[in-house]
Amino acid sequence: MAQYLQDFPEEFVERYSRLIPDFADFLKVTGTASRKTIRVNTLKATKQEVVDWLGDLGPEALPWWDLAFGIRDVEGIGKRLGHFLGLFYIQDAASMIPPLVLDPKPEETVLDLAAAPGSKTTQISAMMQNTGLLIANDSSSRRVRGLVGNVDRAGCLNVAVCRMDGNRIGRLLENSCDRVLVDAPCTCEGTIRKSHQVLNRWSVSAIQRFSRLQNGLIVSGFRALRPGGLMVYSTCTIAPEENEGVVTYLLSKFPNAFVLPIELPGFVMRPALDTWKGESFPEPVRHCRRILPQDNDTEGFFLALIRKGDAEAG
Amino acid sequence: MLKQVKELSERFGIDPGVFKRLGFMLRQETVFIADRKVMEFDQVKPIRRGIRFCRVFPHSVKPTTWAMQILGKHATRNCIDVTKEQAVELINGKQLKLNAAAENGFVIIRCSGHVVGVGHYKSPILKSQIPKYRPVE
Repeated sequence: MAQYLQDFPEEFVERYSRLIPDFADFLKVTGTASRKTIRVNTLKATKQEVVDWLGDLGPEALPWWDLAFGIRDVEGIGKRLGHFLGLFYIQDAASMIPPLVLDPKPEETVLDLAAAPGSKTTQISAMMQNTGLLIANDSSSRRVRGLVGNVDRAGCLNVAVCRMDGNRIGRLLENSCDRVLVDAPCTCEGTIRKSHQVLNRWSVSAIQRFSRLQNGLIVSGFRALRPGGLMVYSTCTIAPEENEGVVTYLLSKFPNAFVLPIELPGFVMRPALDTWKGESFPEPVRHCRRILPQDNDTEGFFLALIRKGDAEAG
Repeated sequence: MLKQVKELSERFGIDPGVFKRLGFMLRQETVFIADRKVMEFDQVKPIRRGIRFCRVFPHSVKPTTWAMQILGKHATRNCIDVTKEQAVELINGKQLKLNAAAENGFVIIRCSGHVVGVGHYKSPILKSQIPKYRPVE
């Protein structure tokens, strides 16, 4: 374990060696790249067509979703003709999970509150079979440009791209969305495998800063939801303050917010924490799920599935 | 249906029924295409609705590669099939010399059953109109 420890800030190790029972495995796996995975873009291709196009990369179907494939990691997959044609999307497996849990349907109205660069937006668009209304919002002009490029390449005809403060959009869309994805900006601790640069920016004060931002975004997303609608809150980070803490904040503000269980057969997920640094989280928060890199050879993620009840009846 | 959409629909032999559930919007010489629900959405002001369908010039209407990649599969005329090697050359900005059963003007370039993008054919030269992208190998 010592050989990996030197890469990590002392405070990081101190925090997460308590939180992750198999911390040695976590450290070991973060020193390796995660398995390269792609998603079939069903707006343009069938599963079999993509398998044929990527035949030389040994595409292997992943057990939890028939449109996700592991491939041999080679240089330049993004330069392939099939990629230009938008037949598939290069996307980490864990990042495909929030839309799968959200489970959007054709013709619905869906808000992707922090959408750029668009991997989950394009996935949701395909799951909606290019129908209905998918509002893809991001606050950053630079990131929105990348989002538009991916929407174009994926061929999404059901997307309205907005550039607004995520804290504000919920009030403007109050009670109007069937489903909402809040894939919140975060400290990205779960993406260390992709870039160790994450550790250079890491600090407890950054966690606290993001946590405040996330509290605003989850409330905004919840406001946009119609009664009976479903929201997924997700991050690619491990910090409880950005995960269980944010869901707890929502529950404290809205008695009509209900955390639902999450299941995805074939994909290993761990229960959320019940306490952290002396704070106890409400019992329903245990329904949230943690995805750790060592369990499925992915990045790390956190997921909460929330239903909005009627204001009075619940 | 906008006249520009009708014009391209006729040029490529696309059944108008394909556009039944779609809406169009002309903004600054560009026609955008999206699901009707996207076009009717007015609770906030989007910076973009759907994808660009075509650019309108004084004497021509130029379809976009991204729109044709999703709608061009319904085209029945003025399509040119190329090999994968030729498709890569076109994406990388080269032109091809070939004899095709297509009228001069904008054409849909196809490869292995998928639409690669838009080209301009003036027999026997096929010029790529595909937007600049990272090099494709």
